[in-house]
Amino acid sequence: MSSVPTAVSTDDPAVVPDLDDDAGGMLDGRVSVGLERRVVLRGAIVAAVVLVLGLFVPNIITDSYDMGVAADGVVLGIMAIGIGFLAHRSGLISLGHTAFYGGSAYGLAIATTHWGWSPTSAALFAVVGGTLLAVAIGALVIRITGFGFLMLTLAFGQALYAVSTLTSVRSVTGAFDGISVTYAGENTKFLGMTQAQLGAPHTFWPLAWISLVVVAFGLWLVGRSRFGVTLEAIRDNEERARFSGYNTYLPRLGGFAISGACASIAGVLFALKASYVSPDVLGFQLAGDSLIATIVGGFTILVGPAIGAVLYIYAQGKFGDTGNLELYMGLALIVTVIFLPGGVTGWVVEQFRRLRTLVAGRKGASRS
Amino acid sequence: MSGAPVLEASGVTLRYGAVVAVDDVDIAVAPGVLHGVIGPNGAGKSSFMDALSGRRRLSAGTVMLGGEDITRRKVAWRRTHGMARSFQKTSVFNSMSVRTQLEMVARRNREEDLDSIVHAFALEPYLDQPCSAISYGLQRSVDIAMALIGKPHVVLLDEPGAGLSQEESVRMLDHIRALCSERDVAAVLVEHDVDGVFRVCDEVTVLSLGTVLACGKPADVRANPAVIEAYLGSQA
Repeated sequence: MSSVPTAVSTDDPAVVPDLDDDAGGMLDGRVSVGLERRVVLRGAIVAAVVLVLGLFVPNIITDSYDMGVAADGVVLGIMAIGIGFLAHRSGLISLGHTAFYGGSAYGLAIATTHWGWSPTSAALFAVVGGTLLAVAIGALVIRITGFGFLMLTLAFGQALYAVSTLTSVRSVTGAFDGISVTYAGENTKFLGMTQAQLGAPHTFWPLAWISLVVVAFGLWLVGRSRFGVTLEAIRDNEERARFSGYNTYLPRLGGFAISGACASIAGVLFALKASYVSPDVLGFQLAGDSLIATIVGGFTILVGPAIGAVLYIYAQGKFGDTGNLELYMGLALIVTVIFLPGGVTGWVVEQFRRLRTLVAGRKGASRS
Repeated sequence: MSGAPVLEASGVTLRYGAVVAVDDVDIAVAPGVLHGVIGPNGAGKSSFMDALSGRRRLSAGTVMLGGEDITRRKVAWRRTHGMARSFQKTSVFNSMSVRTQLEMVARRNREEDLDSIVHAFALEPYLDQPCSAISYGLQRSVDIAMALIGKPHVVLLDEPGAGLSQEESVRMLDHIRALCSERDVAAVLVEHDVDGVFRVCDEVTVLSLGTVLACGKPADVRANPAVIEAYLGSQA
């Protein structure tokens, strides 16, 4: 065996390889993990098209109630894709993202109502605060994996819930009564929208939709970046990652913080739309809902959890009246976990792949 | 021998409770030298590798890399500063493609010439397959290839032949021998295949119950009466 490198020239520059993956030439002598401009551009175009198309949804859904359902679904979806990102990239299942969702919702409510901040600065404060909370909690729990992680995140979420309901902080959080969000300062508009417009589903929709698309595109970029590859390697084989020269703690914490930031953004959107924040935003019910939405939607595909969340909120509206919502959701979860391990979106993609292989096989057969 | 040792460990001791797995073992390996470590099951070979690589904290002793004391350094630091290892139980990134993981490790360890490593292990046809989809022997190649990325000064190889067929194992050892010389790497090789070790190694250490039974040139070690009695038996 010789170690003399041979000039392998499979990467003919004239033949542009398929755009299908992180097409990078190892054999052309350069190291190229990470984002390629071509791939990023393609993703940006897809995101822009989806973004613009989504803005027409209020033209299609005229009913205000249905529009509200869709907007709520998108807000929950932003939190769910954050949870899905963590599950997919780090293999960690969190039941505590309500801490960041609820924490930032309270942050917005307190900053506007009690401190008289403008909704814009309050929203920024809330998202940053929620993310910092994720860093703080993550620093403590990120070393633990599997079931322990699930339980610890749940414990932190519930602890925050308990704090929000304390009588001693009633003057700040309103305890079980919650707080109404009021904009008292000079600037009472958020991105040009009044509180009434934020509360109306049709006018609120663009804000929620743009946020979802931007968050999803951001997560997509992170997932494809070198950082995303590192996270995947750590999930796959943490020991080998360390023996390959990687500090494994900081990237995992970074992934957790990004995921927490998504929940914080969702929490702020919720508070802007509802103009009312109660301990429910920190509750176990919401933690369970968001995780079920993530699993039913399927987190192997980035936007799967968002689709799961929209389905979930839709089902809530449909089945809520019958009083059997929990029963149906339980059944849906069972069916998903047993029969659709990749969730609804995972199943759809799998069928699509099968179809493509079938078609490709037929083509191959007819050619020969 | 080519110059001063780049890996020098002395008094390496590893205790698990009352059990002493590695007891006061010394080793010194110079660049380009392939140093074999053999011994019967339970002799402490893998524990010794874990001690050298930083996977386990030493109970006593020091490990020096290029003259610097690295005894308390973490594994990630050791890797980026020139000490790499492979694992007895193949340790790769299963869900990632061969290409992605090699590129990732290359980027971290500033490897400029990944092609030569890919070529040396003939991995070109498998670059775009997930590591879980290739054969065990190929995974083993990926494992060792990853350990050689970034031109480490010291490579610790824990039973590279484990799980391979006799023929594959022989080829792997020859291959390691050649790479060690060509890349001027100080390599420590733990191996079950005693004949293989005597064939390819420049120096051999024999461990028994955690202590050094003999150390030196293969021919001398093979002729050592203590080794013959305690380990090689009548086969030698």
